[in-house]
Amino acid sequence: MPNSILSSSFCGLNFQTPLVLLSGCVGFGNEYTRVEGFSHADIGGVCLKGTTLHARPGNPTHRVYETPSGMLNAIGLQNPGAHKVVNDILPTLDMNETQFIANVSGSTIEEYQEVTRLFDNSAIAAIEINISCPNVKEGGVTFGNDPDMSARVVEACRSVTSKPIITKLSPNQTDIGESARRCIDAGSDALSVINTLMGMAIDTKTRKPVIGNIQGGLSGPAIKPIALLKVHQVYQVAKLHNVPIIGQGGITNANDAIEFMIAGASAIGIGTGLFYNPLICKKINNDIKDYLALNNINVLSELIGSIDI
Amino acid sequence: MLKDYRNAIFVEEAKVLEHHAFEEGQFVLRVDAPKCAATAKPGQFAHIQCDLQRLMRRPLSIMRVSVDEGWVEFLYKTVGDGTELLSAKKVGELVNIMGPIGRPFELNKEKPNALLLGGGVGIPPMVCLAEQIKNEETAMSPTVFMGSEVPFPFDRKTSNLPVNGIGSDVSDSLPLLEAWGVPSRLASLQGYSGVYEGYITDLARDWLSALSDVERSQVTIYSCGPTPMLKAVAALAKEFDLPCQVSLEEYMACAVGGCAGCVVKVTTDEGESMKRVCVDGPVFDATTVFA
Ligand SMILES: Cc1cc2nc3c(=O)[nH]c(=O)nc-3n(C[C@H](O)[C@H](O)[C@H](O)COP(=O)(O)OP(=O)(O)OC[C@H]3O[C@@H](n4cnc5c(N)ncnc54)[C@H](O)[C@@H]3O)c2cc1C
Ligand SMILES: Cc1cc2nc3c(=O)[nH]c(=O)nc-3n(C[C@H](O)[C@H](O)[C@H](O)COP(=O)(O)O)c2cc1C
Ligand code: FES
Repeated sequence: MPNSILSSSFCGLNFQTPLVLLSGCVGFGNEYTRVEGFSHADIGGVCLKGTTLHARPGNPTHRVYETPSGMLNAIGLQNPGAHKVVNDILPTLDMNETQFIANVSGSTIEEYQEVTRLFDNSAIAAIEINISCPNVKEGGVTFGNDPDMSARVVEACRSVTSKPIITKLSPNQTDIGESARRCIDAGSDALSVINTLMGMAIDTKTRKPVIGNIQGGLSGPAIKPIALLKVHQVYQVAKLHNVPIIGQGGITNANDAIEFMIAGASAIGIGTGLFYNPLICKKINNDIKDYLALNNINVLSELIGSIDI
Repeated sequence: MLKDYRNAIFVEEAKVLEHHAFEEGQFVLRVDAPKCAATAKPGQFAHIQCDLQRLMRRPLSIMRVSVDEGWVEFLYKTVGDGTELLSAKKVGELVNIMGPIGRPFELNKEKPNALLLGGGVGIPPMVCLAEQIKNEETAMSPTVFMGSEVPFPFDRKTSNLPVNGIGSDVSDSLPLLEAWGVPSRLASLQGYSGVYEGYITDLARDWLSALSDVERSQVTIYSCGPTPMLKAVAALAKEFDLPCQVSLEEYMACAVGGCAGCVVKVTTDEGESMKRVCVDGPVFDATTVFA
């Protein structure tokens, strides 16, 4: 395998590289294969779009908008519903190309549980629980900002699946470490850190908010320092339980990726960076390899959490 | 099913070959992008990284391509940071483009009398479509009307190609189309001489009204422009009971169908759904997007 030095086991999943394509940026898994030179072989895992029990039309437009060093989005979890995803979309994916990970959302604990149950009975490799979506009125971040509720959602999902559970934490909360601890206690096998931060933009000509939903989630390089600190904080808790982290938020090159690994991330999420350059993954992999060679590092795990304080 | 689409969009570091400024911040940009040029179709667009200060890409319609020479040409108007930064690119500099993207116009050969209506920065796909028809579909007869409220981004030329039902005072055309033998006329509210004073849809109405019933039953409308214009075009098509394809715009992030950022509500017999302008469009059947 050409990427062997980059391959690893992530909570039991065989990742061919540490890169994970982030939920909401890559549709239901196949969209980026339209681009010549893009290959799932460069990627450890692909998180599919947030999925709810029933279909959702999503928010009014505009849904995306570039802001300094980043972007706002308020898609509103547009998805065709879990049954359609499991029955119609998953069979079109080639599960040998990479690890496909479901991203589960809901308005109630029961909905999270039911969607998880549906995915448990599918070819999906793992389940990411999104308790941090800032763009829906119920559920999402309102669960993620309350450690008690977060833990209850994870517990409910844990009880219906034996697949690895990755809990996606919100940066929009006071003590992310405490939230991480509660989610791990509730049975989470891994953590995604972080989801977007809430923000807005106003059109000064019309005085209207640019984003149809008024507010949106901020992603991209603008949030990178915040995301890095959150990964560092969560790692202090997660390392005690051997729970790996998918670090994410504004990563656009190998140096960013390596920073996140040093802070404690075992895998590296790429979302907005793909919008900038759809071929970014190949380059990041190659540049990570160069860094490893230059620093005489033989296994990626030597790097993870190796921060020198 | 989706696998048919694999590897259809190309990312290229495209060298600027020509970059011409016109009035009111309008520019024609020609770049070296042979892969995009090789398969581009009218109605498709490219997603362009205007500058490293603004990493999110901007969608621009493909106006012309040369497969042999490997270039792609765009016409754009500066409206904000991205297009301003793009306008500063000099010949020889590189811009990163990905394309061609999207569902193109579908030539309706059953109704070969093609009426092309382009407004403002909706002009480029109409030029592209006219060129394709001229090159590939000699059985089709295109007529092009273009509207603009700023001076047209080309030197207007008095036409020698007659257009049915349009007065001789409305005489100006786009020189490129004239050279191809494709009749064109212009519309504007600004009172330019030789240009129809009024909305492009009124000009189109005059033309349609002058056709015989049989001729009119052969018409298909293809259009791109600002949303209010497209709505008026869709209403006109409905009034004359003509098939009509429109090319839409919406803010985009990925432009490959991955983010669902660019959606429009589409109504078909199966009900309403949110479709992505980037890959399900940008061209849609007018009856599905405008009531
Ligand atoms: C399929 C398609 C084809 C297009 N073809 C052309 C063309 O041929 N010529 C041309 O001049 N313009 C075209 N546009 C519009 C062009 O993309 C916008 O004018 C441009 O993105 C504005 O960027 P900006 O940074 O200069 O403006 P800003 O207003 O600063 O842009 C801010 C953000 O809003 C987005 N945005 C603003 N206006 C539009 C718009 N009308 N459509 C989509 N996104 C927008 C930008 O992409 C950017 O993300 C097309 C749009 C689409 C969707
Ligand atoms: C357009 C868009 C849609 C998103 N949709 C989801 C989603 O459905 N579920 C989710 O858990 N995260 C979603 N996210 C958050 C991303 O997965 C990611 O956590 C965040 O964007 C930070 O990474 P980045 O800066 O690399 O983009 C979305 C982000 C964007 C930009
Ligand atoms: S821009 Fe991402 S789906 Fe169209």
